[in-house]
Amino acid sequence: MSWPKPNKLHDELDALLDGRPVELTDELAPLAEAADELRVELAGLRLDPEVADRHLERVLHGSAPVVQLPVRGRASGWELRRRLVAVALAAALVLAPATIASAAALPGQAMYPFKLAIEQVRIASVQWSPPREAGERTRIAQERLEELNRLVELRMFNQIPAAVSALDRAVLDARAAVSEANREGQPVPGVAIALNAVTRAGRETLAMVAATALRLPEGTREAIRAAVAETQVVVPTDREIEGAGTPPTATPTPITGAEPAGGSETTSPPQQPSTTTSPPEPTQPPAPTTTEPQPTSPPTTTQSPPITEETTPPASSSGSGGDVGSGAAERAPAEVGQIPPTTLPAP
Amino acid sequence: MLGFGGEQEAVSKVGLTAADLAAAKRREPAAVTRIYTAYAPALFRFFMAAVSDRHQAEDLTGTAFVSAIEGLPRFRGPVEALGGWLFQIARHDLYDFRRKQGRSRTEPLEENLSEATAATGGEDPEDLALDRLEHSRVLAAMRQLSADQREVLLLRMAGGLTAPEVAELLGKTTGAVKSLQFRGLASLARMLGLRSPEQPPERPYPSTDSDRLTSQEEEER
Repeated sequence: MSWPKPNKLHDELDALLDGRPVELTDELAPLAEAADELRVELAGLRLDPEVADRHLERVLHGSAPVVQLPVRGRASGWELRRRLVAVALAAALVLAPATIASAAALPGQAMYPFKLAIEQVRIASVQWSPPREAGERTRIAQERLEELNRLVELRMFNQIPAAVSALDRAVLDARAAVSEANREGQPVPGVAIALNAVTRAGRETLAMVAATALRLPEGTREAIRAAVAETQVVVPTDREIEGAGTPPTATPTPITGAEPAGGSETTSPPQQPSTTTSPPEPTQPPAPTTTEPQPTSPPTTTQSPPITEETTPPASSSGSGGDVGSGAAERAPAEVGQIPPTTLPAP
Repeated sequence: MLGFGGEQEAVSKVGLTAADLAAAKRREPAAVTRIYTAYAPALFRFFMAAVSDRHQAEDLTGTAFVSAIEGLPRFRGPVEALGGWLFQIARHDLYDFRRKQGRSRTEPLEENLSEATAATGGEDPEDLALDRLEHSRVLAAMRQLSADQREVLLLRMAGGLTAPEVAELLGKTTGAVKSLQFRGLASLARMLGLRSPEQPPERPYPSTDSDRLTSQEEEER
């Protein structure tokens, strides 16, 4: 007795289920009958037309029956205030310790980036008001100056080049903000005076830094000297003061010689050369040597802050000397050159 | 059906065209309705036979169809492959349903669970659902089949898929699917009293116990 191969039976049954013509053998007959009974049974399972409509509605219009869940009503005024206070408190709990912890951070320390970020947030929060922005930027310039002094004090010389650049940039930003406030018709003479004080103190610090650098290893020394030479605001202003009374080429100090030169000497009032900003420098070359980065131009004519050329007021009889730490108010008009004369405090 | 340029336009077994598919992807109501009309009855039968509860089967059908229409823009196959794709979604939904059902079934206390397990013989939710279909002799017999046989038969008979389509859906060979459907129907026929006693056993797989897997089925798994 021979039986068809299983695969042949399987194929025939499959053809039967697909409705293809197959010879119905005795082996397949009961299977076909079972399939028919199953098919009839399944055909009796019909989808309710109402259900079908609901499904289609759900697909086409997304209007599936939605069970209303209890929802919280609109927050009342008190509730809203309570939430705001909670959010503010949470923010304060997070930010306040970090702010305090980062306040004394110095360049190179872990919290310093956080300190810078907080400063940016503060600036962003006052940018709607030019006077406030000028004040905030001046405060930041003061902070940069303090950091530089602290770095010198702690002998963290590796961080000094970056700190010098940061100070110069901060003063530049602050001066631009003061000018902006003036252009907006909202002069900030008090801020301008404070900024002048920062500029002068920065000049002194830079002189000290440059003098200190002479005793440092060559790599560090050169880095500091390069940073000082690249400053655009702080040092040129110092030179402006010193150069008012003496020819620039005669300037003996490394700081003034290292300056990229301020080109607005013609508009500056005659002033006495600074004596306090000239550290001893037995090995310091004369001024032309330190102006090597710009060999094509003499120190007095190389570059000047563009704002200075436009707005530096006429010579003031009260501007005198580079004596840091004294007479800030008197020298203010000469130093914050970008502030129009009408906005400056009376000498 | 001829399309532009005289090219033969593909038409699925249920009369859908590629244009219908493209329109349904854009959620054009007429095309979506055509697809629903073409496949929803089969989906419902598939779910109904699987869960044996009309309301649950209706919900599963609606959910699967919504999922399918929402996922239709991601469907890249030809219109002929749409059925297989839809039943793939349906199968996943069914597995999710069974998993949730099984989870809720094991929530009672341990002693209750033990009792329930003892009472049901530890069978799966699908088997329990089929138990409720006392009036359906055929569907009740379906529960005696192995899970693979049952799934193949449902996809073939309720879903209207071909053996190759079922094979692709289940990740099996077409031969394996044909074997499973043969054995499933043979067992069903025997349980329904349709097999004449003088008929030969299924060689070369002589086991008459439909629940016990043959060596070939074990290999297929």
